Amino acid sequence: MKNRILSLVLAVVMLMSVGSIALADELNLAQLPLTTEEGATVSILGMNSWYSTVDLTDAPLLKELADRAGVTIDWTLIDPTVYSDSVSPMLASGKDLPDILEMPDLDLNMDYIKSGMLEPLDTHFDLMPNYVAFLEKNPSIKGSLTADDGHIYYVPQTVVTHSYQPVMMYNMPWLEKLGIEAPTTLDAFVEYLRAIKANDMNGNGDPDDEIPMSIQSAFLPYMFGPAFGLDLVSGFYADDEGVVHYAAYEKEAYKAYLTFLHGLYEEGLLETEFTSLNRDQITSRCANDLTGVTFDFSWQMSNLYSAQYPNYDGTVGIIAGAAPLSGEHEGFYVARNPISGVFGINAKSTNIELAVKFLDYAMSEEAQDLYVWGLEGLTYEVDDTGARHYLPRCTEDTIWYQGLGINAPNMPSQQSTPATDVLLPEWHVKNDREFEVPFMRDPYPTVYSTPDEAAITSMYLVDIQTYVDERAVAFICGYADIETEFDGYIATLEAMQIEELLKVRQAQYDRFAAAL
Amino acid sequence: MRNASQTIVHSAEPGRKKTLGQLISRDRHLMLMFLPVFLFYIVFCYLPMVGIVMGFENFRMGSGFSGLFNSEWVGLKWFKQFFDSVFAWRLIRNTFLLSFYSLIFGFPIPIIFAIAITQMRARRFAKVAQVITYLPYFISTVVVVGMMTNFLSPSNGIVNQLIVKMGGKPISFMSNPAWFRRLYVISGSWQSFGFNSIIFVAAIMGIDPSLYEAMEVDGASRWQQIVHLILPMISETIILLLIMTLGNLLNVGFEKVYLMYSPAVYETGDVISTYVYRQGIENHNYGYASAVGLFYSAVGFVFVMASNYLSRRVTGSSLW
Repeated sequence: MKNRILSLVLAVVMLMSVGSIALADELNLAQLPLTTEEGATVSILGMNSWYSTVDLTDAPLLKELADRAGVTIDWTLIDPTVYSDSVSPMLASGKDLPDILEMPDLDLNMDYIKSGMLEPLDTHFDLMPNYVAFLEKNPSIKGSLTADDGHIYYVPQTVVTHSYQPVMMYNMPWLEKLGIEAPTTLDAFVEYLRAIKANDMNGNGDPDDEIPMSIQSAFLPYMFGPAFGLDLVSGFYADDEGVVHYAAYEKEAYKAYLTFLHGLYEEGLLETEFTSLNRDQITSRCANDLTGVTFDFSWQMSNLYSAQYPNYDGTVGIIAGAAPLSGEHEGFYVARNPISGVFGINAKSTNIELAVKFLDYAMSEEAQDLYVWGLEGLTYEVDDTGARHYLPRCTEDTIWYQGLGINAPNMPSQQSTPATDVLLPEWHVKNDREFEVPFMRDPYPTVYSTPDEAAITSMYLVDIQTYVDERAVAFICGYADIETEFDGYIATLEAMQIEELLKVRQAQYDRFAAAL
Repeated sequence: MRNASQTIVHSAEPGRKKTLGQLISRDRHLMLMFLPVFLFYIVFCYLPMVGIVMGFENFRMGSGFSGLFNSEWVGLKWFKQFFDSVFAWRLIRNTFLLSFYSLIFGFPIPIIFAIAITQMRARRFAKVAQVITYLPYFISTVVVVGMMTNFLSPSNGIVNQLIVKMGGKPISFMSNPAWFRRLYVISGSWQSFGFNSIIFVAAIMGIDPSLYEAMEVDGASRWQQIVHLILPMISETIILLLIMTLGNLLNVGFEKVYLMYSPAVYETGDVISTYVYRQGIENHNYGYASAVGLFYSAVGFVFVMASNYLSRRVTGSSLW
């Protein structure tokens, strides 16, 4: 008798849960909590915070996410600056890996996919309503993530692509002092640098302490490449006719680009230490009002660079963005691809179902809201009109704010322009729409390689990039003579099978273009 | 005495060899002491050698240890790729030259220094000098390279400020390929000459003082003492150390090169071990990296064999 009642109760409970699953499915929502099992754990391999003094292991927002899901997260967090070097060997050994894996790269050669270590997620799409909805909304991302066997193995972390990207930033008071507008051509730009060198711009009585331009060497291609018609950032790029080029193999344009930079270097406008300059040094130059122009991710403009100046009041930018430089070619900025990282599920995991559900929940709108806004009362408050405002501590105490797990790098978060706008002062948002967004050009698309293409790419590309990098420095600094040695450089690239690679890239681009 | 008699007793029983078990039980304490060393070599030196097979196959990612035996076999493909690569010759040259210069310039300095320090009359000064010179040996490589980067910085490094004060143009030491080997060798000898001189100092101290007295009685000058007494007396130590260093000739320190170099100085600074690191760890071309590493080890093996042979011929003593 007792047993019969028990089974009846069980049957009712089961029926109810089936019903609610069906309901949840209709609403396109995952059912929370994801599991009722006591002590259910999902292990995750991911990046720790980019702030070296912040540890995300116990981040309150990530804990909140786990609590809502009804699971405990067992983190393996690794310093993002060495993420790839530390994680690649772990993945290669394939032993004792966590359930969810944040991959060290986008796996465009499908090394990891082909190895069979990842669970094809599309076979679990019945458990992933949030992700399915996301893919429906973003067909191009779906296209990029579909491997050549038709399966989808990864959940993406996405970023803003056309706003808050690397742009020119000028010292506005200096421009005003010289009575000029922000330069838009290479010639006007060089004149500006010369003027800085000749004058005592910061008015401290020493005409020689100004450093005309402070650019990390990684940004030089962003800054000057477009004026020569080159997208050196992507390396490979397609022209208007859909023909793929390799920027550092463009005989005329790349030579002109190097010659121009060598000229700047010789004249002392490009500092001798440009290869080792870092953001901290540039920041300290701003604090001492020593530099006239920099080039960096736009979102550094207000809260990092302008904030260094004692007279910055938050309403007008001191270091502010401007249009790109044009030369023989119309200038542009290089946008980026939306997928910044991917998460996969360990096929050998004993916990695949829960891991799939959790990864899906981490993609949900609810989770996204948590990544961006945090929790009411903790990070934001809601005013009478229903609008949200960050609490003052969010901007005052960066370490605390980051420690909460805001926009955590170990979650499949989706950056969005509106969510970024609210973090920045009004002038900066306006500056972004006016001088940056209109000039952005799409980078070379993210396309998976076929096995044959991957073999060719991994055989030749690394050596080619190494060679291009070191020759670029040699030509700019004058260790190698552009006039006499550039032809040899091109010949070496040919010997390194650049043409073979171009064929591969052309085929990939054609596939991509056909799929559009 | 008891031991001796025991030995006699044992040898008096010919034809009855001890079994392995008996041998082990007799030497169990020695064996136990040897065990950690044995395990160390097995675990860290011999077991990883199985990974050499990766150099002949297309290693499947994520397949772990078993992947070593069921990945696609590609034979000598990676070796061919390496020797066809434009970097092969440069890497071999850089590796060899870096070690060679370190040896040529680094080896004589500790000897000269040891002689100088032992000839000094002011003993206290000599002691202090010795301590000061061997201290840098204990600074970690990261710190040394950090110091170099700071001191040699073109804009605010002390060296370049001196150059500018004297009317010169600042030199970007760390990003100029022409300077890489010099900096590597100079900083290397600076760091180690004090420490390396200890063994020579000991050898010189070991010379019988009556020999000096005899030379002084004969009217030999200091210089003559050095040339005709000290150098011949320590020549065996010098040769032994030289041969041992030769065996390690190709072992350029990966850490130091890795910390010092950048794409700007790959031309002279990129060595086989850093290339293997970039290919293997950074770009997961495990098969290719293993093949290059294996080639490197093979060359290193030849050097060790040759120096051992030389040592046996020259000094009569060798490792095997």
